[in-house]
Amino acid sequence: MKLTRRDAIKLGVAAGAAAYATYRLGGFESLLRPAASGGYSSGALTESRVASVCLQCPAGCGIVVRVVDGRAVKIEGNPTHPINLGRLCPKGQIGLQILYDPDRIKQPYVREELWQAFQEGSLSAYLAAETRDRTPEDLIPVPGATADEQWDNALEVAAAALRLIRESSAPGEGPHQLLFMSGRNRGQMGGFIDRFCAAYGTPNHIGHSSICADGSPMAHWATQGWKAYSGYDWDNTNYLLCFGGAFLEAWRPTTRLLRAHGTMRQGRPVRAKIVQVDVRFSVTAAKADEWIPIKPGTDGALALGIAHVIIQANLYDAAYVQEHTFGFEDWTDPNGAQHVGWKNVVLQDYAPELVSGITGVPVETIERVAREFATTRPAIAAGERGASMQTNGVYNRIAIHALNALVGSFGRVGGPIRQREPPLASVPAATQDENAIAGGAQPAFDFRGTIYYPLAGKVYQGVPDFILGKPDPGGRILVPPYRAKALLCYYTNPLYSTPDNARWEEAIRRIPFVMTFSPFMDETTAHADLILPDSTYLERWHDDVIYPSLGFPVVGLRQPVVDPLYATRNTGDVLIQLAQHLGGTVAQSFPWADFLEFLKARYQGIFASGRGRVGDIPLSGIASFEGFWETFAREGVWSDPPYAFEDWAFTFATPSGRFEFYSQLLHEKLEHLAEEEAKKIQDPPPSSLVDQKLDQILEGLGLTARGDRVFLPHFEPPQYVGEETVFPLHLVTYKLMVHAEGRGANVPLLREVMPSHLRGMTNWDTWAEIHPETARAYGIQDGDLMWIESPVKDDRGSLRRIRVRARLYEGARPDTVAMPFELGHTAYGRWAKGMGQNPNRILANQYDLLGGLAAFSPTRIRVSPAGGG
Amino acid sequence: MVRWGLVIDLDKCTACQACVVACRVENNVPIGGEEEVRKERAIFWNQFFSEIHGEYPNVRLHMFPRPCMHCEDPPCVPVCPVDATYKDKDGRVLVRYDKCIGCRYCMVACPYGARYFNWFTPEYGEGHGNHLNPDVVRDGEGWIVGPSPRPRGVVEKCTLCVQRIERAKEEGTPLGSEHEGGVVSACAQTCPAFAISFGDLEDPSSDVYRLSKDKRAFRLLEDLGTRPQVYYLSEG
Repeated sequence: MKLTRRDAIKLGVAAGAAAYATYRLGGFESLLRPAASGGYSSGALTESRVASVCLQCPAGCGIVVRVVDGRAVKIEGNPTHPINLGRLCPKGQIGLQILYDPDRIKQPYVREELWQAFQEGSLSAYLAAETRDRTPEDLIPVPGATADEQWDNALEVAAAALRLIRESSAPGEGPHQLLFMSGRNRGQMGGFIDRFCAAYGTPNHIGHSSICADGSPMAHWATQGWKAYSGYDWDNTNYLLCFGGAFLEAWRPTTRLLRAHGTMRQGRPVRAKIVQVDVRFSVTAAKADEWIPIKPGTDGALALGIAHVIIQANLYDAAYVQEHTFGFEDWTDPNGAQHVGWKNVVLQDYAPELVSGITGVPVETIERVAREFATTRPAIAAGERGASMQTNGVYNRIAIHALNALVGSFGRVGGPIRQREPPLASVPAATQDENAIAGGAQPAFDFRGTIYYPLAGKVYQGVPDFILGKPDPGGRILVPPYRAKALLCYYTNPLYSTPDNARWEEAIRRIPFVMTFSPFMDETTAHADLILPDSTYLERWHDDVIYPSLGFPVVGLRQPVVDPLYATRNTGDVLIQLAQHLGGTVAQSFPWADFLEFLKARYQGIFASGRGRVGDIPLSGIASFEGFWETFAREGVWSDPPYAFEDWAFTFATPSGRFEFYSQLLHEKLEHLAEEEAKKIQDPPPSSLVDQKLDQILEGLGLTARGDRVFLPHFEPPQYVGEETVFPLHLVTYKLMVHAEGRGANVPLLREVMPSHLRGMTNWDTWAEIHPETARAYGIQDGDLMWIESPVKDDRGSLRRIRVRARLYEGARPDTVAMPFELGHTAYGRWAKGMGQNPNRILANQYDLLGGLAAFSPTRIRVSPAGGG
Repeated sequence: MVRWGLVIDLDKCTACQACVVACRVENNVPIGGEEEVRKERAIFWNQFFSEIHGEYPNVRLHMFPRPCMHCEDPPCVPVCPVDATYKDKDGRVLVRYDKCIGCRYCMVACPYGARYFNWFTPEYGEGHGNHLNPDVVRDGEGWIVGPSPRPRGVVEKCTLCVQRIERAKEEGTPLGSEHEGGVVSACAQTCPAFAISFGDLEDPSSDVYRLSKDKRAFRLLEDLGTRPQVYYLSEG
């Protein structure tokens, strides 16, 4: 029904009169009578502002929480925290909806069958099960008259199961059968889990970064010699060339990057130019000065084409290249072997015409942007997930990163930054008994660092295949020499977050014991045998070391801004308690009363450094550690500015002490693996055999380059999944600002934020952006429901598909459909469950094998109208 | 005389919508839910808009937040039959929630769509009601002007966070973006890009005064003569 203005007024008067009647009848008389006095009141008996640290992304922004009569009512930024300077992104603003989520897990839960087995002393049989079907309906609150008793019982069940696994003397069995998967490990939490794994005896702490953005740290390692994310001196750069990293929506540290956008625009002598290379017209691309649409997975080629123009036109910083880089010109190694320099490789292989054919970027654009980039210094070439999480992700990122060396940006004001770590005190290593030593010496379950995934520190997304003995994307069936008997998950949800996540449905059945620490009933937790729920970040002690960005060290402190609402416990505390229940050397490795005591032990180092400032207060003026800690808890942050540029040894930790176009570390790593393989045949191996093995390894990794090019920035063609004739379109996924990296779907205030770039769309539903002409060709109109079908097949051999709302978007490439991550949960509380679609259902399980990382954009798809509206 | 206003620098703005979310938390704006959003009944005192121009690959996208403009000559005020909405002495357009009869004349009169009718008794959801802001501000006669309670069936809108401002005045805290630690509206407080400034448009030493005179400054639908107290600074 369409209302006229006259109708609207009539209806309005009627509704208004009705509402007026309601107040009177509904006991609202007091509202209708003017009160005696005007002005402000809150009725608060007590009010305070408590400093803490956000946890909605890994940025580590300082927050100040307004607490009124024991209720937290508003979160704002902490003005003295250098990451966010008092400001917060939308995710930071809604933390209270995490705290007060009615669907939180409020006490420990156990699968009824497990509780019975524990009571009857038949845990061994429970753990010996080949498969186990689980539904969340089987979970019961852990019995106990008090919360403490419930927790004691829960910890005893956990310890009993973990003890049985640990002490099994059957061949191939032992503590290494425990997989500890983790996600957002801020501050000391990741190291604490490492410690638990070391003391228990498993090499299998498997973090989630291989589905996150591991390609970047690997590129930094290959070229700069350190494996971490890079910061950038955004405020002082004059040109930002950004590849596939939507720094206004999806990158970290969020609030810092949003501020950087402002400082690149206004209040400076020269307005920085921002050029965004992206597969779709993101908000970042829209706010940039120029958007360069690019074919998915070809960012590295564009970077190399730009390098070609810069070198050809002699626009690179020759003095810098000579002084601070390695492998630019042809060179001879100490053994007398000749090597081709990167300069000649680029000039030979990456002429703009060729690159234009690969990337779809016009030659004129390549040439113009190259000249601008080289002549508008200081300039930054940055890139993130869209470039790095591809089948060729590591090399893409290496190629992009190398542009910074050409224009002399590393180590200089306005260039990339290497983050310095805070001076924390070390604590003695975990104590290991025979079980721990034997278990820790077992090969890792995820084949990290092997010939299969040479640079990987973890292969998170491969775990279900390793469990099931299914081929990996390289067609290799990799079966660990032992079975996974226990899976522990901290702040990660593999059943939802892994590409082709249906692989987990069977894989998790094969794990006899699953335990999570989640405060929410996520998909993995719904399949748990035991839940030891964490307190939310607003209820616990937990430090935070900032995400690499500013360069100088910054740490923050989370603390309970309100008392824990429910019988939940800080997972840091629970690991200590679990260790104590396990006893022996595991308990000895955790001598602290609680996580807070452990934190204080580590933070003695900061106090001892005498450096920096707590909030705005110089540390040097604080006399005792107790005084430091009290100030730290009150102010919420310690930092030690400024960042020192031109520290070359720190910037380049490579064998040559320079930026390595020719990566000696990569050479060393692959050569070492080849030697080990060769030794299996002949020891010591002849060099021809090593070369042959290296060739086999490269073949197995699906790499096309050979010889020196393997170790130089070069382009590997992306490997798409699906025949172009059947699946003519690419599918790419992306993240919106209001998406807390897959964790925000249960927050109604975030769900109700309308996407900034699409009109008339709500975040309560999943959409996919499609170019208007492409849509027209398939008979799809704006707002229609649309099937997206991928080559990934379900158990019955049918193609998997999801139904989403089609949004016709001029910012979509005609050959590429884009949809956001975040929705499509099958669990995760009332606001998330059963709403929208999860792209992981149809994303192929494809990797950059060199880095062992998941590739998120190689899947080809086809679309069709789905009827309805 | 004081005249509170905002300046929003669209060149710095990142379209992150922190302002939109901070506003909803600060002012107890309830969740509408999928259906309400679809029917455009969801309430956003500060709402985000976008407009796309051009064809692939030459596309431009303009995005901006829209709080109440707090017009100097507000079309919504004279149409109110019960004197519920008014221009206060500090230049804010406010609604006396307990006086409003919900006729929505003001919604029709507002050219910016900045006013919202709350069709339902505000529901904050089980649990989420715990984080409600307890602040109340009453005008000189004792009528409630912000932010809560707002009974069902009234018109509600941006108050420039009257509760934050009135409290600061009572406590003697400095007001305005130009002061370090100065109290400002929730949207200006949170803006990560430092794109939103809050302050007194009559005070020559304020940020908003200076920025409102910038050559990039413009106001929405300026030709209507409403003289908004919210200025935008253009991109580029």
